Amino acid sequence: MPESEKYSKQEAVIQLIVFRLGEEEYGIRIEQVKEVTITPEIARMPKTPPFVKGIANLRGDIIAVIDLEERFQLRPAGEELPAVTYTLAIEAKDYTIGIMVREVPQPLSIPVSIIEKAPEFIQDLNIHDKYIEGIAKTEDRIIVVLDMLKLLTPGEIMQLQSKGESSAAAARTKA
Amino acid sequence: MKSREQEYREIFMAEALEYYDAMSRHISELERNPTDEAALNELFRLMHNLKSNSRAMGYTQIGEAAHHMETIFGLIRSKEMTFTGLVVPVLFRGVDTIGEMIRAVGEGAELPDISQLITNLDRLVQGEEPILEDDSDEDDEDANRKLELSDLVYIQIKKLDHLLNLVGELIIDRDRVLTLSREIGNPALATAAAHFSRIADELQYSVMDARLVNVGSLLNKFPRVVRDVATAEKKDVELTIVGEDIQIDRNILQIITDALLHLVRNAVGHGLETPADRLAAGKSAQGHLTLSAQTQRDEVLLQVVDDGRGINVGNVRRKAIERGLVSQEVAANLDDDAVRAFLFEPGFSMAKEVTEISGRGVGLDVVKLAIDSLGGQLRVDSVLGEGTTFTLVLPTSIAVKGALLFELDARSYAIPLMHTDSVVSLQPTDFHVVGGLLMSRVQDENVPVVPLRNLLHNGDGPLPPAVKGELTGRQDIIIVNYSNRKLGLIVDRFLRQQDIVIKPMSKPLDTIDLFGGVTLLGSGQVCLVLDVPALTRLFLAKRP
Repeated sequence: MPESEKYSKQEAVIQLIVFRLGEEEYGIRIEQVKEVTITPEIARMPKTPPFVKGIANLRGDIIAVIDLEERFQLRPAGEELPAVTYTLAIEAKDYTIGIMVREVPQPLSIPVSIIEKAPEFIQDLNIHDKYIEGIAKTEDRIIVVLDMLKLLTPGEIMQLQSKGESSAAAARTKA
Repeated sequence: MKSREQEYREIFMAEALEYYDAMSRHISELERNPTDEAALNELFRLMHNLKSNSRAMGYTQIGEAAHHMETIFGLIRSKEMTFTGLVVPVLFRGVDTIGEMIRAVGEGAELPDISQLITNLDRLVQGEEPILEDDSDEDDEDANRKLELSDLVYIQIKKLDHLLNLVGELIIDRDRVLTLSREIGNPALATAAAHFSRIADELQYSVMDARLVNVGSLLNKFPRVVRDVATAEKKDVELTIVGEDIQIDRNILQIITDALLHLVRNAVGHGLETPADRLAAGKSAQGHLTLSAQTQRDEVLLQVVDDGRGINVGNVRRKAIERGLVSQEVAANLDDDAVRAFLFEPGFSMAKEVTEISGRGVGLDVVKLAIDSLGGQLRVDSVLGEGTTFTLVLPTSIAVKGALLFELDARSYAIPLMHTDSVVSLQPTDFHVVGGLLMSRVQDENVPVVPLRNLLHNGDGPLPPAVKGELTGRQDIIIVNYSNRKLGLIVDRFLRQQDIVIKPMSKPLDTIDLFGGVTLLGSGQVCLVLDVPALTRLFLAKRP
């Protein structure tokens, strides 16, 4: 890890998996990433928000795959992802979920100290929970460090779910 | 396959031998400490159980011995006798004799004579001296006594569940391997794959078989329930139980326990009339309730049949309109089956008064939910004044379900056969537009038909009014049936019928109730399994 050697030994270092969404780089703590794979075939799931691409078979586990570029509108409308994409399988609280990215994600080690808190107004933007852990600045790169556990709560993922019949049906089932 | 009777005998043997072992252990404890109450209670209980089991199996002699022994242990327990003096050898001899008889049953040999033992036990009860023979040669035999291990093992259902899950995974891989071997076309691989497939099948059926229990293990708990409810409600009820030896997966039985309890309480509480009312209606004073089980293809039919007052369809219709479940005009045209289906709506109770037994605000919808969760069907038939029949159609096993595979927008979907009524292909001229809905006549019934694509991919709004001109060419339609309601779904293409292993939908998508789960096809493709109850509800909510 050449990056980590630049910093003094006693300083706490974290390893990130860095990937590109739109024009920016984002990072996730490596312990939250289960594996990185070429995106398997995805079955579109009706009655889900558009950024939920569907479900895929990952070594026998059926996981939901989401497109964060679409979720955060980081891609011009109408533009599709390339034919081959990569999927990061993320270990969320009690399930695994896939995140589609366009380029092969790379590992990166940085000292914790260079992660700065995100400005308040970004934190508040259109976001229920503060899932931006901070912003890391190394040399000429700026990496937005995401807290996946907060980003991938069922509520976050399903928040755009249609309020129509499906939820009505669910409510009736519970009644 | 062993006969049912043989299987019962094996179970009896295993239990009896276990009782015998426990008796030997406890009587030795009692000898060391004649006031050991725990051992005494245990002996009493074991004798009692052995007595009941033996009598039920027709081994009256064992039952007789156990009965006499039970009496003595009862006397010791109530301090009318002590475990001292000559009582000790007689009871030891009694336990040994019981062991001999059980072994004799196991070997199919003649049972030993027990008249001497019975006489001695009787003499003890009457406070007389028992007559003890010189039993020196018997002691020899005892010294050489064989140690036996039971032929049955008890196993936690959890372990069987795990085994079943593994088998489910294996079946998915089996399909995958078979598909791959066909694609690769290597003869050696094909042979190995075929063999693997056979073994996997056999393993699957063995595991499923190991999970089967008799429906009787649940049904036989009902005489007591019926008696209690009947007493509280001042009804006179004769309960008949049919088909106790029908077999079903243990977990399915577990899941329907509350549902069945509810139906039976309901039948006694609301279905059957009081003796006075029955006589006034020209019926026998005693009400009849039948719990029956039978197999039908791969399904088990459980029925709760009463000869009570029946369901007044008119009342249900009125109540459904009152509660806003249906408009007056629509209600007037619904047939009786469709009206009775309202009984399963949440919170729809016909009980005017809340009684202690039934009508605790828990409606038939709870029963319905339990059955739905199994992918089963619940039906109700009733003739006013003559009685009501609830029918539960249950899968025998939860692991594997028959499903119909079809294609929509180049993707495979599955629909459980349990909810599939029939499949038809119709021409556009076979359809009519009624109230903005497509309608077609299938098997002498008017069935609403909807393109599944519109139902799944139409966003939030109601369905667009149907336009006949949009249909071109032959239409493949799956008729699904839920709650006595039929609905036709237009799909792109029927694929095939196949047994599938359904995996539950993983979080966070499990909140979408439209899909009962997913399955993996042999091609490795993920296939969504439609949930017909949710689909029917969606249709009802979105119809124009």
